Amino acid sequence: MNDFSELENELRNLRPARPSPILFERVEEALMDSGAGASPARQPERLPYNWFSLGIGLAAAAVLVLFAAISLERRQERREKIAQISPAPEKRPILPAQRDGIGVRGSTSSNRFIPAGATQVVYNTRDEGLQFARGSEQPLRRLRYQTHQTWQWRNPTTGASLRVSYPSEEVVLIPVSGQ
Amino acid sequence: MDNVASHEDWKSCFSEVAPGLLLFARQWVQSAADAEDVVQEAFVKFWRRNHSIESRALLYAAVRSIALDFIRRDRRRARREASAFAEAEPAMEPQFEWEDETQSALAAAVGSLPHDQREVLVLKIWNELTFSEIAGALRISQNTAASRYRYALANLKKSLQPQ
Repeated sequence: MNDFSELENELRNLRPARPSPILFERVEEALMDSGAGASPARQPERLPYNWFSLGIGLAAAAVLVLFAAISLERRQERREKIAQISPAPEKRPILPAQRDGIGVRGSTSSNRFIPAGATQVVYNTRDEGLQFARGSEQPLRRLRYQTHQTWQWRNPTTGASLRVSYPSEEVVLIPVSGQ
Repeated sequence: MDNVASHEDWKSCFSEVAPGLLLFARQWVQSAADAEDVVQEAFVKFWRRNHSIESRALLYAAVRSIALDFIRRDRRRARREASAFAEAEPAMEPQFEWEDETQSALAAAVGSLPHDQREVLVLKIWNELTFSEIAGALRISQNTAASRYRYALANLKKSLQPQ
């Protein structure tokens, strides 16, 4: 490269045109503004290596989806186990075989319902006054609650749900002690 | 210019690299104003991402990429506006501040170099990038960068010799 050293020096002495003073102000404004797309330059936001970032993003998303799928599968398996253990909420369809007395050996997994929720809404409370229970000297306050109860079951296999709602009434006796 | 990203103050960094960056941008865009737009966008992106010295080539690659995008957009715009500006001459602002006729001739000789040689020369001489960094910025091999540089110098020498 020695052949060109003189020429290189001449080239280095040649100074590029200086940027306009306003460019510094524009860069400062753009740097101050942290919002996306705030750059006053005319080109859209694009970097030469954005494909690399996109690839990493897609790989991360794929891993997340995979984890979510595995987690969902495990949860479903657990639910099925619970459904097999708890016999109470199982719903059995009335089949002709049962009516004949022969019976169906167990139910299929698609017929299993598991409890999914229960609510009790008290919409009225009535104080019915003091009273003495039979054989008791302590007075009792009689309260009557009017409620609306809802029970819900869900079939984890088919996604079907069953809901039962009914009004109910409860009478509660609360002992009253005088001071 | 040994460490662009280690400067805490962006102004000192920018004032150091801006002339070289602008010259590099001018290899694609005609006007100084367009080159400033390109440089501004590239530098702001580079600074926000706090790149290290190892990725200095990325700053130049960003300038190149944004400039090429600009050309594509500019060509579309030029086609649309062709009829309106048919008779207008493109304003060619000087890329260098020359002091005498020798420097003027040298600047003209640089301007007449093939594009691929000129961009390597600009990165090497006025931006002080290594061949490795040039290769990264232009996405070419180091050998290609070095050979283009040598061809550029050889062509310059040839064109500056008295006939």
